[in-house]
Amino acid sequence: MSHSHTSATELLLFNQVTVALGKRQFGPFTLSIQPGEQVAILGPSGAGKSTLLKLLARELTPASGQAQFEQRSLHDWSLAELSRRRAILPQSHEVAFGLPVDLVIGLGRVARTYDPQLSSIVQQAAEQACAAHLLGRRFDTLSGGEKARVQMARVFAQLWDVEQGLLLVDEPLAALDPGLQFSLMEAIYTFASKRGHAILAILHDINQALQGFERLIFIKHGAMVGDYQTPHVTLPLLEALYEVRLASAVTDTGEVIVAPSLKQKISA
Amino acid sequence: MVKSRLFFSQQLTHRPAWLLMLVLILGVWAAATMGAVTITWSDWLAILQGDDEPLSGGAYVLWHLRLPRILFAVMIGAALALSGALTQGLFRNPLADPGLLGVTSGAACAAALTIVLLAGSGIEVPVALRYWLLPAAAFAGAVAVCFILDSVARWLTADSIAGLLLTGIALNALAAAVIGLCTYLATDEQLRSLTFWTLGSLAGANWALTTALLVALILAFWALRRLTHTMNALALGEAAAAHVGVNVRALRVRVIMLVAVLCGFAVAWCGMIGFIGLVAPHIVRLLVGPDQRRLAPLAMLVGAILLLLADTAARTVAIPAEIPVGIFTALLGAPFFLILLARMRRGS
Repeated sequence: MSHSHTSATELLLFNQVTVALGKRQFGPFTLSIQPGEQVAILGPSGAGKSTLLKLLARELTPASGQAQFEQRSLHDWSLAELSRRRAILPQSHEVAFGLPVDLVIGLGRVARTYDPQLSSIVQQAAEQACAAHLLGRRFDTLSGGEKARVQMARVFAQLWDVEQGLLLVDEPLAALDPGLQFSLMEAIYTFASKRGHAILAILHDINQALQGFERLIFIKHGAMVGDYQTPHVTLPLLEALYEVRLASAVTDTGEVIVAPSLKQKISA
Repeated sequence: MVKSRLFFSQQLTHRPAWLLMLVLILGVWAAATMGAVTITWSDWLAILQGDDEPLSGGAYVLWHLRLPRILFAVMIGAALALSGALTQGLFRNPLADPGLLGVTSGAACAAALTIVLLAGSGIEVPVALRYWLLPAAAFAGAVAVCFILDSVARWLTADSIAGLLLTGIALNALAAAVIGLCTYLATDEQLRSLTFWTLGSLAGANWALTTALLVALILAFWALRRLTHTMNALALGEAAAAHVGVNVRALRVRVIMLVAVLCGFAVAWCGMIGFIGLVAPHIVRLLVGPDQRRLAPLAMLVGAILLLLADTAARTVAIPAEIPVGIFTALLGAPFFLILLARMRRGS
């Protein structure tokens, strides 16, 4: 695939993007995301994963470098236009005032001035996110897992009738039990692959990243330190990223499972 | 299911709205009949016929004193309640109230400074201009406080209502000091109009003010049509609201301007009337839930009813004397505020 060809179809393109938060410098970040690609961002806590996501979400303005979304500078997009092409599933789930669940899900589409399909989309998005039984309840009476489902339904509603959009995910499932994590991750894959949405997800769970994503981006000390197709990711690369000794095992279904093997750090 | 494209005005046709409307109309009628002068049916007829003959007796009192005052109370109550609902939505917190946050005292402070400094400078201001000079000053004071609060709210950690309320306390204290200084510098005549700010009174009502306020309220209502649903998105938090396509900065500025106009008008013409902005949106939230599209118009109705109640009590409890209405709203509001705090503590 020639370089000119890839640049014509890129969904998102970052070229030497940097940002300064207080005294800390982040970047430079250089990456491109193709339509429909499934990319996980990995890295230790405080490495700058969320900062990268905020740059991608246009919450932060780059100090230097170019950020493009669909061949247009990210900052030329209006927020309303952008909201019809990309959605963000946040890390925290709180909503003020105990709004009803239906309204919270519908808020994903608040930027559309004419939206005749709203109520049916809210219903379908809720079903897709395993949250249909929560419709009619107040958001502040829900448990943590239920709140996550409703927020996911809101994001689904936002990109429900969109093709080849972008879904940014900020480790939303970290606090949930393994069964729920699995079914919600499945819901995200199903939703995104049906519409050709690209997924860019910050993840804490190495195994989730290895099994569910085709490409991994490593972030450490505020910069990108690796960008690999998942089959090329080796144990030493992961060990260097997290500075911890890892062990791998193969399950009887053939999946590779990675876990820390010792508490001590690798020396140098 | 989701009631998707409900227009703002359609919300008023829902059942609680009709009920509140009925209560308000009955309240207006009851309040009109209460007072030192007895009003009879023939007095109503006299003002309805609108003869060229000058009104006399009960009809005069009804048309020139009581009705403008009652309608003024209704509209000021609606304005205060709306500004409360908007402030709570903007700061994502049910305890945010223009009075507690110092917005109204900022407006009063600016108005008091205008009264004293203008007299000090020796400029003669025509009475007609005074109607607009004080609201303008009060508006400027309210805007200033709103923007200070807004930047403080952003500067402090997100959703820190404690920080916000403490800032409100500081601003309230500052405004009280400036008003106190004005009182010290004021002449006897100025002192009379100054005490008016601190206690709040609807005694200044007349048809001109009532009409002006009606226009302001209609404009605010118009501005609200599209604002309310985007304000719902603020409940998701600032970042998520931007993600779903809401221009949060523009929304904040518009809401702040609206709050400042409403508070500025109310304070300039009636002084500081507390707690309506806090209590009314709460009652509505209990009735119909927190959807801003329903909350804002219904809060206006409830605020109107509450202030009408308080003002009627202020007029009639100690006839012929009149008790400042701020005393009654505080009597009503302060216990309510404490109950609210207790509920929030239980809830968290």
